[in-house]
Amino acid sequence: MKKIEAIVKPFKLDEVKNALTKIGVQGMTITEVKGFGRQKGHTEVYRGAEYTIDFIPKIKIDLIVSDELVPGVIEALERAARTGKIGDGKIFLSPVEEVIRIRTGERGKDAI
Amino acid sequence: MPSDLGLTKNGLADIRNQIAQGLPAHFPPREFLRQHSDMMDGLVRKAFQAARAKVPSPSVCLMAIGGYGRAELAPYSDIDLLLLYSPSNKNELSPLAEQILYPLWDLGLDVSCSSRSIDECLKMACSDAQVKTGLIDGRYLDGEYEFFRNLYGLFTKKVLHRRVQSFAEALAQEVHPRRQKYEDPAYVLEPNIKEGEGGLRDFQVGRWIIRAKYKTDRWDSILFPDHSRMLDKSIQFLWAIRNHLHLLSGRRQDDLTFELQEKIAPLLGFPMGTKGVEEMMRQYHLSARGISNFFHDILDRALYEPSAFRKMIFFFQRKRIDENFEIAHGELHLLDPVAFKKDPSQVMTLFQHGQAYQAKLDFRTEEAVMEALPFIDDRFRASQKVNQAFLSILRKGEGVDRALKKMHELGFLSNYLPEFSEIEGKVHYDLYHVHPVDIHSILAVEELGRLRDGYYQKDYPLLTSLIREIEKPDILFLTTLLHDIGKGKQGDHPSVGADMVNRIGWRMGLPVEDRGLMDFLVRHHLLMLETAFRRNLHDEQAILRFANETGNPVRLKMLYLLTFADIKAVGPEAWTSWKNSLLMELFLKTSHFFEKGDEPQSFLKMGETVAQLRQSLPRETLSHYAEHLPDRYLSTYSSGEISYHIGMAQSLDKEVLLAEWSREEEVRARVTICTKDRYGLFSKIAGSMFVNRLNILEAQIHTWGNGVALDTFYVEDPTGEIERRLQQFKKDLKEILSGKISLKLLLSQREESGWIQKKVIPKVTGETKVNNQDSDFYTIIEITGEDRLGVLYEITQALTDCGCNIHFARISTLGNRVVDVFYVQDEWGEKIVEPEKANHLKQLLLNRLTPL
Repeated sequence: MKKIEAIVKPFKLDEVKNALTKIGVQGMTITEVKGFGRQKGHTEVYRGAEYTIDFIPKIKIDLIVSDELVPGVIEALERAARTGKIGDGKIFLSPVEEVIRIRTGERGKDAI
Repeated sequence: MPSDLGLTKNGLADIRNQIAQGLPAHFPPREFLRQHSDMMDGLVRKAFQAARAKVPSPSVCLMAIGGYGRAELAPYSDIDLLLLYSPSNKNELSPLAEQILYPLWDLGLDVSCSSRSIDECLKMACSDAQVKTGLIDGRYLDGEYEFFRNLYGLFTKKVLHRRVQSFAEALAQEVHPRRQKYEDPAYVLEPNIKEGEGGLRDFQVGRWIIRAKYKTDRWDSILFPDHSRMLDKSIQFLWAIRNHLHLLSGRRQDDLTFELQEKIAPLLGFPMGTKGVEEMMRQYHLSARGISNFFHDILDRALYEPSAFRKMIFFFQRKRIDENFEIAHGELHLLDPVAFKKDPSQVMTLFQHGQAYQAKLDFRTEEAVMEALPFIDDRFRASQKVNQAFLSILRKGEGVDRALKKMHELGFLSNYLPEFSEIEGKVHYDLYHVHPVDIHSILAVEELGRLRDGYYQKDYPLLTSLIREIEKPDILFLTTLLHDIGKGKQGDHPSVGADMVNRIGWRMGLPVEDRGLMDFLVRHHLLMLETAFRRNLHDEQAILRFANETGNPVRLKMLYLLTFADIKAVGPEAWTSWKNSLLMELFLKTSHFFEKGDEPQSFLKMGETVAQLRQSLPRETLSHYAEHLPDRYLSTYSSGEISYHIGMAQSLDKEVLLAEWSREEEVRARVTICTKDRYGLFSKIAGSMFVNRLNILEAQIHTWGNGVALDTFYVEDPTGEIERRLQQFKKDLKEILSGKISLKLLLSQREESGWIQKKVIPKVTGETKVNNQDSDFYTIIEITGEDRLGVLYEITQALTDCGCNIHFARISTLGNRVVDVFYVQDEWGEKIVEPEKANHLKQLLLNRLTPL
């Protein structure tokens, strides 16, 4: 099992969600996050006052999938989240030791 | 196994169900509580008598206290008992109490039993409000009746009617921590029937205070008949829910959870499914509100009714406002109790005074308002005086939220704006919308009030300055109050609501422009958040569309404020600084667009163009291309040209390049080029023209959203060989684009052949400007210089070398001067903002303007 964490542009959420559902991903966790990387924040001027957006709003998607789904998920994420411009985001992949469904106590793949 | 009382746990549950089922449907739930309590009396007496037979029994009296004492016993409620004794034999009581309790506990009943002497009872009741309220509801069950009579005589005389105000204060304080716990939004969605706001406990507290203050059991005797009938209905409804809650869960369950809401709604006669649940919850919220108002009304009477002494002080401190009102100690008083009936418009005046003097209404005045509600009719609603007064309340800003809240609480708002009554208590059956629609609307107004008062200055400075600069706060507040008015009606709620708001505005006599503004805001109250969260704000197109729909900066500002209020009032989690970042970005970019002020006319043209295209092109073709055509492109060309371009683009599957031209004069031609966009395309075109000695006089380059580049060039060849040169140009460009030959090679070949003549030193000085202010999306590069063959190629090649992507360009030649404007982005799709990079680019361009 792997944990896939993806940071994407907010307006890409629907597309990403649809792409993932289509390939059989059952659930995901969405978080509103802010940050910056190569794409920096900026300052806007309105009526002489400056308003700084120093952290850029992004969406973080977390999902746990079984190993065989990983390539498909990554491909779907890449395709759906790409605009080709700066700030398209990143995907992080890491191993997961165990998953437990609290209600039933199921473990491993069944609990995803 | 049957207990000592000859009954099992299950047997008891059966009896309960029998009582519940035996009652005819039209019987009020109170009847169940009474019968259940009667049944319990039987069991408790049996236990008491059996206990007395077992242990040597002193002389005692058994009493029921609390809810059981009131004979209002819900299926699994606590049973509170009290043993009254004479002080001498206290020690012998605990065996007796145990003997009473054990068999009842065996039946799974939640019984508690305290034992006190009469003196102890009175003493404790003086200091402990809980003991006092327990005794208020006390009821004789068995044993020495004399003890009971004594206690009650003394209790009524010495405790109950004394120090009513501090009793009320104690009860109010108890409510406070309870409220904090149940104010959590989770409890709004899944309310606690007993402890929640407007729950059964509130009703009870009100009853106790009435008992203490007015010396009567009949709580309804001090209310208006209409009011008490409504209140009774509300109580019965809550009781009905609670009975079902207990019976379904088989325990004392007072939380009306989602799961139980679904089960109970059909039992109470509501339709199955979500609709029924929403209807039931609506009735619940309305009932709870009625109870809550009753509770606060009674509490106010007990807490604030001045003593005779204070009345005298007030007499000297009061200030007359006009013939109907005076103010004293921050409270507004109505002088003549029938003033509202004589002239209902005075009700609005009252609220105006309340706002102006920041005064509370005293409870008698509030009652007078409620009493006057039937006089609020169509004439009242259409009265100019009333409506002007209402608008002036809204316009004033300060305390608008408090005024509206009070109007709503007293039922005045939904009489004045009858449309509002339809969203009262209306709930969404989901986890996101915490509050019923009317409360949500009032909260939204409150949020605007807070914003205006500077409460969010630190977190949201932009919004704070916006609400202070808008010219029509009255329209904003009114629209915010009414933005969800279409909820629950057939159809799309923003459009339905917009129509309703239009009618309301008309009735209130608002000018047509204000009605238009309200219509727009309600109809599009979801537009800004949808755009901010679902559209790419780095795409100029998205911003242009939004600006186009918004229309002007006034609407934009109000829409931003309304969006803020709307989301903020959904629930504490809904509004985040994350959401605000996106909304603020959208707001600022759109404002910049309006500030530049040059585009709106071209939009008018754009609309026409699209309409014409719709007629001339097959629907599929248009729908396939329409979304890709940038507004800037649409506003440049006529619909005829655009259909022609689309025709060219359709052949791109087969051809690398499409280039067509029409001769305008002997030496000039208009060339249209259609190909797939690629890096450095413009410089390749300009270069190919250059090698063919075609001088570019004008150019328009556009890139469609689907990657099709559509460029038109106006070119000249003074030698009169334009046709041949264009043919060669097309051939060259095609070879370059398909990679058969490089432009560089071509240039060097032709150079060798010696036909490219180096011109003399230019007389026009070159100038370049790198402008990052005028567009949120592109760096705009403006170049002026001496015209010469190939200059455009040099410039575009320089731009390409610096990693610039040209999205749009306008090339023109004025005499021997070229004036070029390029909209560019760097390879990341961002503007070129770093000063170093911008300077480097500027320098490079200047060098190329001046030929070697």
